[in-house]
Amino acid sequence: MGMINGGHLVGKYLKEVENVDIVFGISGGHLESILDSFTEYKIRTIDVRHEQAAAMMAHAWYVYTGKPGVCFLTAGPGFTNGLTGIANAFLDNAPLVVLCGKHPLRDDLKGALQEMNQMDVVKPIIKWAATCYDVKRIPEYLAIAFRQAMEGRPGPVFLELPPDILNIKIDEALAPMPDRATRKYTVHPDDADLKAAADIINNAKKPLFIGGTGIGFSSCTDCLGRLIDKTGMPFILLNHGRGTLPDNHPLSIWDCGNVGIMLTASQADVMVVAGLRLNWLLQSGSIIPATTKVVRIDIDPHEIDRNRQADAGLVGDCGSVLGQLEPLLNKKEHREWVTMLRAASQSMIDGEIKIRQTASDPIHPIRLAAQIHKFLGDDALYVVDGGDTSYFGLVGFMSRHKAGVIGSSSGLLGCLGTGIPFAMAAKLARPERKVLLLNGDGSFGFNAMEFDTMVRHNIPIVCVVNDDCAWGMIKHTQEMSIGKERLQCSELGMRHYEKMVEGLGGHGELVVKDAEIIPALQRAFESGRPACVNVMTDPTVTSPASVLFYQSLKME
Amino acid sequence: MFDIEIGEVYSVNQKMDIGEEMPMKLRLLLFILYQKLKKAAKKNAAYRSFLGNMQVKIMIKTADGKHGRLFIFDRGKLSTLTGVTHPYDAALVWSDPDTAFKVLSSRSEEQTFRAAADGKLKVDGMAAYVQWFTDGVKLVMK
Repeated sequence: MGMINGGHLVGKYLKEVENVDIVFGISGGHLESILDSFTEYKIRTIDVRHEQAAAMMAHAWYVYTGKPGVCFLTAGPGFTNGLTGIANAFLDNAPLVVLCGKHPLRDDLKGALQEMNQMDVVKPIIKWAATCYDVKRIPEYLAIAFRQAMEGRPGPVFLELPPDILNIKIDEALAPMPDRATRKYTVHPDDADLKAAADIINNAKKPLFIGGTGIGFSSCTDCLGRLIDKTGMPFILLNHGRGTLPDNHPLSIWDCGNVGIMLTASQADVMVVAGLRLNWLLQSGSIIPATTKVVRIDIDPHEIDRNRQADAGLVGDCGSVLGQLEPLLNKKEHREWVTMLRAASQSMIDGEIKIRQTASDPIHPIRLAAQIHKFLGDDALYVVDGGDTSYFGLVGFMSRHKAGVIGSSSGLLGCLGTGIPFAMAAKLARPERKVLLLNGDGSFGFNAMEFDTMVRHNIPIVCVVNDDCAWGMIKHTQEMSIGKERLQCSELGMRHYEKMVEGLGGHGELVVKDAEIIPALQRAFESGRPACVNVMTDPTVTSPASVLFYQSLKME
Repeated sequence: MFDIEIGEVYSVNQKMDIGEEMPMKLRLLLFILYQKLKKAAKKNAAYRSFLGNMQVKIMIKTADGKHGRLFIFDRGKLSTLTGVTHPYDAALVWSDPDTAFKVLSSRSEEQTFRAAADGKLKVDGMAAYVQWFTDGVKLVMK
């Protein structure tokens, strides 16, 4: 065997052991030998314009492919720039592998370039973190990192690699590549708990199944489908679980939107909550009446009784647990219940349905989402980013694909700016699909320079900016809390974002009238380039999410 | 839906001259509801906090456009207007006055759900504001 340096050991491990074929980041002096390894081992690099986008893309890579995403950050500011993306992955339980540069160990405490204590900064927002001090152990550390990211409840991991080890050459035989563990660990819930859960579901008259990211990350389409078909339960899949079964499945209630979830939850006698935290978005579980029986399924035992005592709790990977539960369930139908909840929900969103169907001037954002969906249908991948914009997109779009509609900023971090990186990752992961991003004009600003990345790397997504000239959710919340005449830091003004994208080499469209929406989308997709369709929408429209947001922060 | 005793409706009916053009029971029910909310907005600390600075107009009306009452929330103050022609942010639209009265006075979320499922109750405008309004009513009535 020949000689190899530490940086090349990184590329070799990624390619030969983990089969990584794409990574995200920005170059930096501390990482040079790793960068060279990407060339050596033919790993595609997507070099972005801000490291937070790299972390967010790597996070999204897992959402769209089921493979852990890898990002590389250079030391110091590269590291600090990536923190928002790491924190977002942490709160999303996404297996993100962060490879980070570090000042030379030899220069520690001497005031080295970009010397800082990165480890203490990152530890609260990471599942596992380590610094590698021995070039021979780089493959071993990487193997630990990938296992930590993926096993149990997934999460981001952080590996610091100083140039003292990256730039040292050793005999390749001293650093053999470990075998990748192929075992799949499953946890078997207690038989009595399985039976208790089955009894509850079998006796349900008005059941509802709500699945979350744990469903999506479990890749359990087949067993979830069998369980739903057998039990006849209506269901809704949220967060990264969305699309594990198609939004237009006969028993999916996505056509009833968020209002349907709230209404149905208030009437259900049994709720199966799988891979989903009962967090603020579900009012910490208070949307479930006290009399409703609750079955919780989660890979993390701490979630089973969190915010709501479960009547039956099943710990394990969602797919594994559903597979064990399904044989114990009776074949049932709940047609009358499903018909009733669907009719009731439709009545409650009757006003919204009319808005979707009616041309408006100024353009109503719900109408905008409806026109986009009319043009693209359910065969596209949709990403939604913003405050009010997230509501309009999440209820306005339906997809038949896994992760077909992702509210990238709707996670626990509420991280605006994730839409562009997520949409880029979606297009890279599934190049055969049209990818549409509905972005608020506020959130657009966080990663808008990534249109340059899209142009350089030929990533032709279409970004529709829902342009209400404001941080809409904040503005409308301020209107409720401090009053319309005292708005502070919430208005943005009309800007030609489409011209900015044109300037970066993309395609731009400005839309001010309803009739222009679909022709502009047509031209944007036909351009074959990254495109921005800047749509001026009614700035007075408040989404239901703003009301929820307002109520959740009112402390008196 | 609204926790108001039917007896209260008849009691107020004897004291108030509120016109004949709208079925009396519904009109009375909405008037009493307004009175209760107005009183709570002044004296109930929890409800005052709930209202905050919200500026929302909620209409409760019948689908034929003959009967309605507007509840105007303006930074903790509550006022009202009768009639259906006023602009609103969200409206509960009932198929007919009898159904409206029965369900509103039933204290039953299930009855409301069934009325919606039967198409006898629809929401115009933003459902979230209706949810906010009904949450407030529940707070006052508990």
